[in-house]
Amino acid sequence: MLATLVTAVVSGLHGALVRVEVDVSPGLPVCHIVGLPDAALSEARERVRAAIRNAGFAYPASRITVNLAPADRRKHGAAYDLAIGVGILVASEQIRAGGGAWALLGELSLDGTLQAVPGVLPMVATLARAGQRRVGVPAANLEEARLVEGVEAVGLDGLDDAARLVAGPRGRRAMSAARRPVIGVSGLPAAGVAAPTGAAPEGRVALVSGLEPVDLREVRGQPFARWALEVALAGGHNLLMVGPPGAGKTLLARAIPGLLPPLDEDEALEVAVIASVAGLLGDGRRPGRRRPFRAPHHTASYAALVGGGPRLLPGEVTLAHRGTLFLDELAEFDRGVLDALRQPLEEGSVVISRAAGQVRYPARLQLVAAMNPCRCGYWGDPQRACCCAPGDPERYVRRVSGPLLDRLDLRVELGRVPPRELLGGPEPEASAVVAARIALARERARARNGGRLNADLSGAAALAAAESEPRARTRLAELAEAGALSARNVHRLLRVARTVADLAGAPHVDEAAILAAAGLRDPAGDRLGAADAA
Amino acid sequence: MDPSERIAWLALAAVHGVGPATFGRLVAAFGGARSVLHAASDGRLGRAAIKVETGRRLPTEVVDRILVAAAAPDAATATLERFGLWTLTPLDPAYPSRFGVLEAAPPVLYGWGDPAALEDHYAVGVVGTRRPTPAGRALAARVARHVAGRGAVVISGLAIGIDGAAHAATVEAEGRTVAVIGAGHDHPGPRAHRALLRRILARGGAVVSELAPHAPASRGTFPRRNRLLSALADAVVVVEAPSRSGAINTGHHALEQGRALFVAPGRPGDPATAGCLRLLRETPARPFVGLAELDEDLAALGIGPVRAGDRPVAAPDPLVDLGAAERSVAVAIARAPSGLERLVAATGLPPGVVGGAVTLLQLRGLARIVDGAVLPAGPLLERG
Repeated sequence: MLATLVTAVVSGLHGALVRVEVDVSPGLPVCHIVGLPDAALSEARERVRAAIRNAGFAYPASRITVNLAPADRRKHGAAYDLAIGVGILVASEQIRAGGGAWALLGELSLDGTLQAVPGVLPMVATLARAGQRRVGVPAANLEEARLVEGVEAVGLDGLDDAARLVAGPRGRRAMSAARRPVIGVSGLPAAGVAAPTGAAPEGRVALVSGLEPVDLREVRGQPFARWALEVALAGGHNLLMVGPPGAGKTLLARAIPGLLPPLDEDEALEVAVIASVAGLLGDGRRPGRRRPFRAPHHTASYAALVGGGPRLLPGEVTLAHRGTLFLDELAEFDRGVLDALRQPLEEGSVVISRAAGQVRYPARLQLVAAMNPCRCGYWGDPQRACCCAPGDPERYVRRVSGPLLDRLDLRVELGRVPPRELLGGPEPEASAVVAARIALARERARARNGGRLNADLSGAAALAAAESEPRARTRLAELAEAGALSARNVHRLLRVARTVADLAGAPHVDEAAILAAAGLRDPAGDRLGAADAA
Repeated sequence: MDPSERIAWLALAAVHGVGPATFGRLVAAFGGARSVLHAASDGRLGRAAIKVETGRRLPTEVVDRILVAAAAPDAATATLERFGLWTLTPLDPAYPSRFGVLEAAPPVLYGWGDPAALEDHYAVGVVGTRRPTPAGRALAARVARHVAGRGAVVISGLAIGIDGAAHAATVEAEGRTVAVIGAGHDHPGPRAHRALLRRILARGGAVVSELAPHAPASRGTFPRRNRLLSALADAVVVVEAPSRSGAINTGHHALEQGRALFVAPGRPGDPATAGCLRLLRETPARPFVGLAELDEDLAALGIGPVRAGDRPVAAPDPLVDLGAAERSVAVAIARAPSGLERLVAATGLPPGVVGGAVTLLQLRGLARIVDGAVLPAGPLLERG
């Protein structure tokens, strides 16, 4: 007998419908899976057989043929296990498909329970677009499946759950998830709910290498760097912090998640899709409103940062979409890997081309980078001697290519905080206060720019910002002449100045904003950028 | 010197391995550079003992190189033309008379710029470490600007750090400065100082070396350069030197050559100035305690402006047309050069205002940022 079930495949961030056809007919007991399966999928045969038996069903001693249609599309992963397993049960007439048309997703364990799989959100979205109204997913993936509107999503714990679901109403008592009304994006936690600090689970999802969020109250000293960070976050500008070890670069960066306003609905859905494909949403983690904060280690490979691998998975730049990519020890990253950041920084997306195909992932991220001034970290330190050989500090910063440095709109140099300030001194501002100012400035910018942050302003729009302030224009001309700014750098300076003005609540980019923005441009002076030291 | 002897002189001096001492002995032994080249061609050079006391001979590879030079003596001259260099030999009237104190004066001095800068009546060397503290950098600039304002030519070595700060402050004050480099003019100092080098030349200064254009810098070239640096100065000021620094070496040369040596003291135990303290303890160097005292000491030694004690007309206060915020930032950096973070703490102004003020001061030529520290520049150096 033949059974047909519906499921989906994901490529990039988009899904496609896949039909699972199972035929059980008399013959030698053998199981074939056809339709361009990869290794994980071919192993489904073994998983499904064990799962069926351990869930209390009988594995038919007949000829089983599983076809994944359309046959020309490459399928990968273990998300088809469940559909294959249930298909075998239906085709061998152990259950009757009386519960309506259910699409099924999930990986089977040998004991018959279900495992979370990546990409559930885009798969369910694809099924919904194709008119599929009812979807069974692993319970751990239920939260993300529920983000899709117009679909009844049910969380399943194992093969027996799925069998009851497909068999019809009588079997649905024991199911783990209640029949909740279908909800869409509105099912996300409301804006503002995400607490700025603490160990909220969704906060942890986004942090790698064990970075816990920090409140700015815990960061003493560094008033200038704090301000630079505020400007960077308010305008979406890329930021480079240079300073000796222990100056507070990493601490400031870890405060970022608590300083950014929550994602809006569209953004949250984009971020959730990416997280789903990357497999970050399994284990019942809920997609949240918190902006992603990614901090890959400096040994990260090209594929890890930009994306790729045999399945063309998204890389850190995409996982940081609508959020922050924090690169600590920037000069220690592989140079080729860093230069690959130029495309996403410029275009807001990244194209991965491999023999297996081509995908485009969104990558509209804010880059925050930190590095030591030299290998030992103490170049220019007033107290501690730098132990690098002559010329080494210059070589060290030159490991970051000029074009990448050029894309870091703000550069601040952090000194070491004197112990006096660490122990006493004024109480620093809390994250909540700074976050409120940032949110206000971002609102101002979005209202004026048609929804865009200042960092995304076109060159012409940036130039227009200083139009009505003749003194500001004079200063700009002076600066351009003195610093030999290229046209691109003039635009960058103006974008930053626009943000400075937004933070101050000024309607126009005035002289003070231009000067302050220039003060954020290259305090690293001779070694980063300008050619002439003296 | 007749033209063909001069060509031979330049060719012989350009041979790698022929230093000032060897050059002097060879020319003395054979009676002229041309004769040395002839001697190389007919094989006498290889057999000649160049050091009578020891009977030491020239290494064969040097003899071979002289032979090559003898075959085409014009090649050295052509190279000089290509680099746009002038040359001075001890037989030229314009050869720096200050080199008279040297035991082995360079047979050829190569240079760019104005050779007259080497014969100015008042020259002060400012030297120090390649890795100065912000305060050391500011002090070097302050000393250079001060003596340049009183008519001195500032002599230094074009290295990163104190040297660069001294040269830069001098050209900024429209003064003349001479860079004595430790390599040939094909490698004129660190790449970061190319623009500074052009400004030195544009201001009537000079960039000189005793090495032929293609000679690379090596372990020995910088210490040997230091003896020329101190010789060209009437007084040398060591601004900041850790215990192992070329500036210490320059200081010793200065004393041996009878030059006045001033050393800026530091705090005991501070590694940045350990070398300075040792110089003060072990040599008759005078401590540098202030610009007025420097003038006084120089005048007592008979070094300096022709009329001792004439102060230039007091310049207008550089801060007069600045706003209140810029003024307090300017005062803070004149007092203690520091990073932006410290400036925010010192002035109590919002970071954006401090950043803007520093930008404006940079535009006015009153401040510059080096390695994250905001340093006073230009007229602001005269305060504090």
